[in-house]
Amino acid sequence: MNPATLIPIADTLTAPNGWFQFFLMLTFPLHLFAMNAMLGAGLVAFIGHLYPGRAYRELSHELAKALPFLVAFTVNLGVAPLLFVNVIYGHLLYSSTVLMGLYWLAVIPLLIIAYYMAYIYDFSFKKLGNLAMFVLLAVLVLLLTVGFMFSNNMSMMIAPASWSRWFTTPDGSLLNLADSTLLPRYLHIITGSLAVGGLFSALYATTILKSDPEVAEAGRKLGMQLFSWLTLFQLGVGTWFLLSLPQQTLQRFMGGGTTATALLAVGILLAVATLVTGFKRLVLPSLWLTLPLVYVMSFMRDVVRGNFLAPYFNPTTVPVQVQWSPLVFFLVTLVVGIGLVIWMLSRLVKIKKAA
Amino acid sequence: MNYPVWFVPTFGGGLLIALVAIIHVFVSHFAVGGGLYLVMVERKAIKEQSQQIMAFVKKHTKFFMLLTMVFGGLTGVAIWFVISLIHPAATSLLIHTFVFGWAAEWVFFLVEIVALFVYFYTFGRMDNRTHQTIGWIYFGAAWMSLFLINGIIDFMLTPGSWTSNSDFWSGFFNPTFWPSLFFRSFMSFMLAGCYGFLTATFLEDETTRHRMIRYSGIWALVSLILSLPAGWWYLSVLPSPAAKLVSGASPTIKRAVMTGGFSLAVLAGVLIALILLNPKARIRCLIVAVMLSAMGYMGAFEWTREAARRPYVINEVMYSNGILKKEVERINQEGFLKNAKWVQHKEVTEANQLEAGRELFLHQCFACHTVGGFNNDIVSRTKTMGFGAMRKYLATIHEKRYFMPPFVGTDSELKALAAYLTAGLHKKPLNDDSGAAGDRGKLLYEENCAACHSADSIKPKMKGWDLVRVRASLDKLPALNPAMPDYTAPPADKDAMAGYLFRLNNSVAAVPAKEQGATLYEENCAACHSMEQIRPKMSGWSRDKIRAALDKLSALNPAMPDYTGTPAEKEAMADYMAKQAGGVK
Repeated sequence: MNPATLIPIADTLTAPNGWFQFFLMLTFPLHLFAMNAMLGAGLVAFIGHLYPGRAYRELSHELAKALPFLVAFTVNLGVAPLLFVNVIYGHLLYSSTVLMGLYWLAVIPLLIIAYYMAYIYDFSFKKLGNLAMFVLLAVLVLLLTVGFMFSNNMSMMIAPASWSRWFTTPDGSLLNLADSTLLPRYLHIITGSLAVGGLFSALYATTILKSDPEVAEAGRKLGMQLFSWLTLFQLGVGTWFLLSLPQQTLQRFMGGGTTATALLAVGILLAVATLVTGFKRLVLPSLWLTLPLVYVMSFMRDVVRGNFLAPYFNPTTVPVQVQWSPLVFFLVTLVVGIGLVIWMLSRLVKIKKAA
Repeated sequence: MNYPVWFVPTFGGGLLIALVAIIHVFVSHFAVGGGLYLVMVERKAIKEQSQQIMAFVKKHTKFFMLLTMVFGGLTGVAIWFVISLIHPAATSLLIHTFVFGWAAEWVFFLVEIVALFVYFYTFGRMDNRTHQTIGWIYFGAAWMSLFLINGIIDFMLTPGSWTSNSDFWSGFFNPTFWPSLFFRSFMSFMLAGCYGFLTATFLEDETTRHRMIRYSGIWALVSLILSLPAGWWYLSVLPSPAAKLVSGASPTIKRAVMTGGFSLAVLAGVLIALILLNPKARIRCLIVAVMLSAMGYMGAFEWTREAARRPYVINEVMYSNGILKKEVERINQEGFLKNAKWVQHKEVTEANQLEAGRELFLHQCFACHTVGGFNNDIVSRTKTMGFGAMRKYLATIHEKRYFMPPFVGTDSELKALAAYLTAGLHKKPLNDDSGAAGDRGKLLYEENCAACHSADSIKPKMKGWDLVRVRASLDKLPALNPAMPDYTAPPADKDAMAGYLFRLNNSVAAVPAKEQGATLYEENCAACHSMEQIRPKMSGWSRDKIRAALDKLSALNPAMPDYTGTPAEKEAMADYMAKQAGGVK
């Protein structure tokens, strides 16, 4: 069966495609930052339990307090890019969603359980004693499982060749396990996430927790170690992912495509630079290198998606019927919303300072 | 047809959507009204300088945050997940049409999260004025979320002039937008009062507990009273098919409306009792009564709204099975399978008829019907119909029963679907049995009886029996001979078989018109009610009364369409039904 015959007809766009691409590429890394911080803070807090001493204990406790916020922001900042993916690739995404319906729906209860457990970890940290680390471990496992579901859907959505399995298994129990890129893709993003999360923990410790130098130093040490070693490991995982890509896609990164090759080169340079600053435990320089690195990685991911879909779908061919006023309405809302958030956070900083 | 179908035969997606939506509705409306409740109670605490009330608000905020942010936020995402799984085509249309509405809603969601965190974690650490402002920002953002989602949900029931101009704002500010916005706002305040009442009952200090119970009770009662005219306004702007469904033409909606009305009465009663008798208000069963009836009221409204747009998922635009109304005519010409993406049989042939029929079922019926499951089971709903009757029924299904979408496709596709629904699901024969019940009777006889005794062997035993006796005997075979098992076929099959057996000893001409009546009954009525179901209702009716009733079915029950048969057909059906009812002349 020709996979192309299965691809649903895409609905008409209400703004030029570039706008949606722009919003997607703008908001997706924001989701990544929150998600990375969430996973990394969880892991650092977990490792903190394994070390003896007050400082590590306190570090875990402080990170526990941050965890529910990070879950909330990861979910919220995930909504926006998922919305724009729905707009640009909805017809592909819904198809793969149906194929893995059971697993996709499981994401919700898993997240709810993880979220409440994060609150239990936070609110009952002292009461739980040694049990706390197991609660946290459960949270981490649940969140990593959710990530695996996302990796499956995002990779199956760009692989229509695997879709005809639906005819024999229509009950929503299909995953994309046969895809040789799935595992390196998942490992690549998880390794990256935990590394960046380590950096976040170090940053958190050296800023928010600086009033307790011992804790701040423990956080910086653990966080930066995690960041540096995982980034080193990532060079290997990243290479594996790159080599698992189909020949045509791989070639684009190896000189075949200017943008793709440039992105890869910048990505590697930035990663190597973060290794230097990371092993020197320089938090802020690492941060300034990592922020653009996450954007570069997102763009590379987009290039991969475009290449996978090239035989089947070209977003620029979708019909467009532009209406500008809703877009303006959104932009105004966004500006007002960001203004309100900044104002509220400034009030928060003010009372922190007063204290 | 554009998308694959998530096929778990016994589990319908509709049920899943309802489940997730109902949970989300209670929590998300609370998230809006509760925001106002929090700032108002905090203001009361500041004004009255009450430490106890302030402590109560803080505690209530924690409960509020854990419930709305985690459960409310994630069940909201869950609805999105579920509908994109069950109704991908509709989800895609809603996402594409209102993308910037959704995007703006996401911004308000973000503001809500930040505001609620700041509000909760700065209790007692921030000056009152700023803290109150943060509370107001939360409520404003939450209400704006409601404002936006309300427009999109109402669009599904009343798309208004969007259908002709595709304008975002026409679809958003649709005919039910404003009444629904008022209704939902009052509903959210009512829920906030109910939840407040719930947490207030846990207060240790008796005076504060009484005050907060009374305060919350008044909140809920006033909002409930205000919601009534808004609800009335909402109903009054419904377009005609939806209004007709709501006013009684749909049995499901009728049940929902009754549940809603009943819940409303209980809710109002308990609330008044609580306000008047608050010293005793710690009784937990009253909390349960309040919460359940509040949810019953709200749930009934949501259920009615969902059901009232049937057979559409987006009224007058897209049917529940994802087929666009404007495409129906073209697809009828070109064929459904040819236009569908996720089918293996692009054309119906004699060899693939059942398989193609199954694919048609999957893409046109499964959105609402399970196969052997709890929700709208297709197996039990089709068991009384033969192949010929099914074909006739499918051809006018939407006309006969408005809330069912029309069959979309060519004649041969319709035949394939009918084949699947009869031969595929019930192993019924595929011969065209309309008007020829005798042949079907023969087939049924062969399938069910001939293994033990041939027709020739029983022919002499029935000599001299009239049709009624033959028919009655089929209801009690073990009484004739203990070795015989019961024949558990639907009455229509028994009628057909009785006709066949009767003819073994009598000429074709002697077969009375009642057989035609049986066929007509099967074609026109049996889809909704079997003879067994309506027989008790006709007990004591004369034939003339039955005949007269056939002229005004919708007067008997608004859910029934009028029977449009010829007078002769009505006579035949009346004969048949009178016989079934007990043969009263």
